[in-house]
Amino acid sequence: MDLLVFLYLALGMCIPGLLAVLSKNPVHAVLWVLVLIIHQAFLLYTLGSEFLAAVQIIVYAGAVLVLFLFVVYMINLRMEERWRVFVKRSSLGLLILLFFAFFFFKSLAFLTALSPHFKANLHYDLSQGTNLWWIARYLFTHYLFQFELIGVLLLVVVLGAVFLLRKLKEVEGDSL
Amino acid sequence: MDLSLLPAFVIMLIIYLVLLLLALLHVAYLTYVERKIIARMQQRLGPNRVGPRGLLQPIADVLKLLHKEDIIPSAVDRPVFLIAPLIALVCGASGLAFIPLWDKFVLSNLNVGLLFILALSSLSAYGVILSGWASNSRYAFLGALRASAQVISYEIAMSLALLSVVLMAGSFNLQEIVRAQAESPFKAFVFPQIIAFFIFMVSAIAETNRVPFDLPEAETELVAGYFVEYSGIRFALFYLAEYFGMVIMSGLAATCFLGGYLGPFEIPGLPFFWFLLKLYLLLFFYIWVRATLPRYRYDQLMGLGWKILIPLSLANLFLTALFKLWL
Repeated sequence: MDLLVFLYLALGMCIPGLLAVLSKNPVHAVLWVLVLIIHQAFLLYTLGSEFLAAVQIIVYAGAVLVLFLFVVYMINLRMEERWRVFVKRSSLGLLILLFFAFFFFKSLAFLTALSPHFKANLHYDLSQGTNLWWIARYLFTHYLFQFELIGVLLLVVVLGAVFLLRKLKEVEGDSL
Repeated sequence: MDLSLLPAFVIMLIIYLVLLLLALLHVAYLTYVERKIIARMQQRLGPNRVGPRGLLQPIADVLKLLHKEDIIPSAVDRPVFLIAPLIALVCGASGLAFIPLWDKFVLSNLNVGLLFILALSSLSAYGVILSGWASNSRYAFLGALRASAQVISYEIAMSLALLSVVLMAGSFNLQEIVRAQAESPFKAFVFPQIIAFFIFMVSAIAETNRVPFDLPEAETELVAGYFVEYSGIRFALFYLAEYFGMVIMSGLAATCFLGGYLGPFEIPGLPFFWFLLKLYLLLFFYIWVRATLPRYRYDQLMGLGWKILIPLSLANLFLTALFKLWL
């Protein structure tokens, strides 16, 4: 039963992922990514992490993808754009694909080699607290530095967006 | 599958069906109550032809909508057009499963139930956004654009308001939140968290696209907004989704701020009494607002969300955290 559920979820992530890349309509592509993300959330749920599942849906499906859709709407792309540069050099694309596939499998091996190390470092006992409690505990003790670093990174992104917008306004004057 | 589980499974299924029927009846009669109350407030009679005092009006409406032809315009994006109302309804209605109706009655008692309700409400926005795009109509498209920006901005304020409740209760579990309120000195979080309650109610109205924030469906400028191309049963699904959204938001407000299913005293034989009373009061508030206030302009709506509600909710969250730390 567990295996069946996992297989369904895995297929539910792989096939929409492929369809998202292959579909010609950008809105359909975003929708396939939505299907993928929902399956991913359920996978996290079956692994016992309901918090991560909820966050996955709230952040990725609820905010990021809506913004994607918003942008796709704004530039009003109804159909696929066929740029000659990209069509002519599709063999180059294949090369890049192979490179990334190689990179992916290499990093996969690297991560599997690393996972016992993670398991040895993380002690958790679900009888002492919910997994939300444990996530919070590790985020604010063991991984505090990394956590703060990501916070700073996000701050930089926000400042960058504001800065770009400011510049745009200065060029255009008060005509907005 | 274990066969001995089958009777329990069937009983569970029957309970779910009964609950679904009850919820649907609630939603249907919510439309009737809304029309009656607004009529009263505008010195009209409201529906009064079908049945005594017009009580059978919702049934007649449902029958009419079921009978009508389901028109699919030729220029639409067919699969997305067909699936969008279903997304709106399914994601809009399944949040009900996480709201505790009574001490011993909650369909799904999750540790992060509150987060799941927020997740489902953010998913139900897709129904609006996709239907507007798939309709291939300018009015619907404008409605969808407005909805996507509006829902994202108000979701932040709403989540931050709920987070201060979570801080007070120390749990994302809705049952735990109710119990924490019973143990708190005020018996309900609405008194210490009055700012959060205000922010939540305002953004809940915006999340469900109701007056005064009904810009995605502003009938004076966009005809009917995102569902202008829909007819028959699919139109009814959008309608249902909106009212389910109202019920869920009111239920969430009752659970998180007003003490949930607990009341000042127990009523024997009526376990759901206090929850339903609070729910109906909040629903009346929704309708009252609709009858009283004019619609906001779009820039005013965005200004209210980003410049007032979000800073206010952040400040409130910060104060709550300090309060929690030192008291």
